Amino acid sequence: MRALVWLLAGFALLLIPQWDRLPPWLLAACGVLAGWRWLARTGRVRLPGRWLRMAIMLVLMAVYIATVQGHFSVDTAASFFVLAVGLKWLETRSARDFYVVFFILTYLAAVNFLFRQGILWAFINFAALALLLVGLQTLNAPDLPAGARRGWKRLGGMMLKTLPVVVLLFVFFPRMAPLWSVPMVSGQARTGLSDTMRPGDISSLAQNSERAFRVSFGGDMPPYPARYWRGLVLDYLDGETWRQFEESAIEPPSRVARDGGVGELEPGQYDVLLEPTDRQWAFALDGSVAVSDNVIPAGQNLFRFRRPADTSVRYRMALGNSEGQPSLGTGERRRYLQLPRDGNPRARALARELVRRGSPEQVVSGFIERLRQQPYFYTLRPPSMPDDGIDALLFDEMRGFCAHYAGAATFVFRAAGIPARVVLGYQGGEPGAGGDYLIVRQYDAHAWVEVWLTGRGWVQVDPTAAIAPSRVESGLRDAVADEGSFLEDEMISPQRYNDLPLVQWASLQLDRINYNWQRWVVGYQGQSQMDLMSRLPGGLGLKELGYLSAGIVGAALLLAGLVSGLRLRVRHRGDRFGRLVLSWHRFCEQCGVPVRTGETPGQLAQRLAQSAPGLEKPAYRFARVVNRHYYSPPTAAKPEQEIRQLKQLLKAMKRQGRRRPPAPSVDGNQ
Amino acid sequence: MTRKLFGSRINRWINRRIPRSDSQTLTQKNLFILPTGAGMVFGILLVVMLLTGINYQNSLIYLLVFMLGALFVGAMHQTHRNLSGLELSLLDAGEGEAGSEIPFRFRLTRAGNDSLAVSLSAGSAVISGIHVPAGESRDIHLPVPSSKRGYVRPDRVRIETRFPFGLLKAWSWLRPASAGIALPRPLPAPDVPGGGEGAREDSNARPIVGQDQADLRPWREGDLTTRVMWKRFARSGQMVVADWESLQSSPDWLDFEAFPGVDVELRLSYLAWQVRERLARGERFGLNLPGETIEPDAGDLHAQRCLRALAVWGLEKPRDTGAMRYGTRSGVDAAPGVGAV
Repeated sequence: MRALVWLLAGFALLLIPQWDRLPPWLLAACGVLAGWRWLARTGRVRLPGRWLRMAIMLVLMAVYIATVQGHFSVDTAASFFVLAVGLKWLETRSARDFYVVFFILTYLAAVNFLFRQGILWAFINFAALALLLVGLQTLNAPDLPAGARRGWKRLGGMMLKTLPVVVLLFVFFPRMAPLWSVPMVSGQARTGLSDTMRPGDISSLAQNSERAFRVSFGGDMPPYPARYWRGLVLDYLDGETWRQFEESAIEPPSRVARDGGVGELEPGQYDVLLEPTDRQWAFALDGSVAVSDNVIPAGQNLFRFRRPADTSVRYRMALGNSEGQPSLGTGERRRYLQLPRDGNPRARALARELVRRGSPEQVVSGFIERLRQQPYFYTLRPPSMPDDGIDALLFDEMRGFCAHYAGAATFVFRAAGIPARVVLGYQGGEPGAGGDYLIVRQYDAHAWVEVWLTGRGWVQVDPTAAIAPSRVESGLRDAVADEGSFLEDEMISPQRYNDLPLVQWASLQLDRINYNWQRWVVGYQGQSQMDLMSRLPGGLGLKELGYLSAGIVGAALLLAGLVSGLRLRVRHRGDRFGRLVLSWHRFCEQCGVPVRTGETPGQLAQRLAQSAPGLEKPAYRFARVVNRHYYSPPTAAKPEQEIRQLKQLLKAMKRQGRRRPPAPSVDGNQ
Repeated sequence: MTRKLFGSRINRWINRRIPRSDSQTLTQKNLFILPTGAGMVFGILLVVMLLTGINYQNSLIYLLVFMLGALFVGAMHQTHRNLSGLELSLLDAGEGEAGSEIPFRFRLTRAGNDSLAVSLSAGSAVISGIHVPAGESRDIHLPVPSSKRGYVRPDRVRIETRFPFGLLKAWSWLRPASAGIALPRPLPAPDVPGGGEGAREDSNARPIVGQDQADLRPWREGDLTTRVMWKRFARSGQMVVADWESLQSSPDWLDFEAFPGVDVELRLSYLAWQVRERLARGERFGLNLPGETIEPDAGDLHAQRCLRALAVWGLEKPRDTGAMRYGTRSGVDAAPGVGAV
């Protein structure tokens, strides 16, 4: 079974996108089982008998159940598929088994797309499917010489021929809303911000160069120091840990002036393509409003998605027009002044001292001035500060990361009676290839502070900017350049080798390809489709799109049928003489003179003349011309002339034949 | 009941579309195509995948579904084209003993493009994996099982392909006009002395040329004592039997009536055995059947003729039961003995 080789190869390829989600034992088991089947094919070992197979199945299922432990998620479903295929290898004997494997593997390819949508991953998936389809061809024609090469060729040809329809369907098939809600619970923790902040949390993110999101701006990009992407607010200090006081409630949309994020980006608008986070947080610049309707304002000047971002999400925001909060209620005031009952006495003393100097503005500027003047350091390698961490940071160690300083500053401001909160998000972003969009990476994660100043509302204060101005002006790389700690754990990240121009160039180009892939192919969902359709003349709604898709399919089927029908016709009746002779035959049959196999035109003409006496002359002449054309050596007579002559004769015969009713058959064999 | 009615309707419809003929070019008119079981499952899988794509709002799954769906339709054309234009003809309907397989020889001729992985089947007999490259032809022996003697004609010879993916099958039938022949299975005939003498009174007038033509052979069990040449036994002590008895009862003739009271099929089997025996011995013999007489002769061809006569004795040559449509060329072709003027 040569088909086995192709299916095994497809299986191996389909496992690649899953490598970090599958439990290692499953990968190993699949390797062993597939290898076993492979060896059995070469005849070196035998496939297990029924009992052994049963035992293997039971053991693996038991291990699977033990691993899953009742947590059902898309991940466990995917690993179940993999397990099923792995076990199926042991009993792939008949063609039917191969089809079962083929179907499971095809679905596995679809499941792979749920997890990874990068262009390379998509390529791997499609390549694996191609392997499977070639495998099916060898399964159906096992002994065909050069079967694999011809299989590839045939598959390629078919794909090329069907490509236009596939593209049209992809563009026009209506992107419906989910039919029923299927939260994609993934067992895997994703890298990214979390909803609590302990000093040191963000510094682990700072070692990660994965993409967080990418942004395209309608107008000019804001300058680097203004790129504060707010994600969530932490306003409750629980010992050393900052938490959300309560998950901010989603406000129902207050204004309806939304255009759904359709059309060209206008100045001041920006599109964010967020990598999957499994969270509902939408990151936005300060003072933004939501444009696309998949993001909803959620209080505290934040935005939320309607459902967790389990795949990459595109949303559109606009700068400006944000109405500031007019005043702070007493409840809110209490909430933003909350502090633990005791701890960090020196910080509280500092706050009291600052209050004595004057107004809240002066308190804030005084604290920032202190950070700037005293020898505080911004470092990715902060010392551990177990007890009274804020005191230790402010007065003893004086070394920390943004999370340390943001937490400490909020503590001091609150102790001084100024409502304050920690904001988590990202700060910065590097331009991608061509400079037309920003890439924000996980190491751009940042924490800063917002304080409530009466009359001015919430004001952004970034203690890190006072200590390491380069962090907010050009990014983490420059801020920790002296320390050399930038991405020190990520040996293979291209961002680490920024000083090598070629690496940098290649990585940015790759990112641009991927960005466009994500924006236009992966992200081609409801909104992008409506976006595209709105640019076409005559607005197309979902229903019209449905009709259009059906029309495309119908037209394609019709066209294909016509083409193949025409091809057949041309092949059969390519010869003009042949066509004329055929229509003569039809005429003869109408006259009750059936054509017999092996009959010469002369004989047929004779019988026709017998049955219809008026037709002798044209019939004999017709037969003569046909005979001359086919059987005599080339003569001076032009084929055009002959054709014309034949046509005239045929017409004459038909005219003659119509005058008299069809004669009863003279054929004795009827 | 309805199913039976429906089935017979379908059969009649098919028979109308595919007239009896020994040769047929497969075209849109007589070629059928449907998804296989795997194809059905594939369709269901595509729907499930589309639902997955819709529910997870995943564009790539949409793309995957459209691609596979388009491939399925493409495969439909491929599968159809794999057979369309193929000419299938029955070259030779074979002969064989009843109960064994009768070899039918078919020729598949292809113009245009290749026909790959084609299978030919009649009843339980299947030959698969036939590849016919463009412009070439292949001869295929299809062993058709037979149960009893007589004409063997598979009602339909099915030609099928599932190439390239096995998700669809295209098929057609050839309804052969010619029939093969299953010869009666030879059974050793008991020696019936003088049997049939009454029936063939006239042939007894044949001159009997004394005993010098008689066969002498050693005695074996069952021989009548009257036939033993006792004189010779007295002289040499060997029991020798003169076989002139059969000679006397027209030894040249194998006679249907020689086995009175025996079942007809059994008689034919005995006669077949006798024919083979005579052939093996190289003797001249004739065959006398009610309504048919084959003059004495010797040799393979003669024996074959006799065996065929035995095989089809009392049987009607199969014809198409359906009425021929007036004026169809193919109908005339199918009628035996009319074509090839």
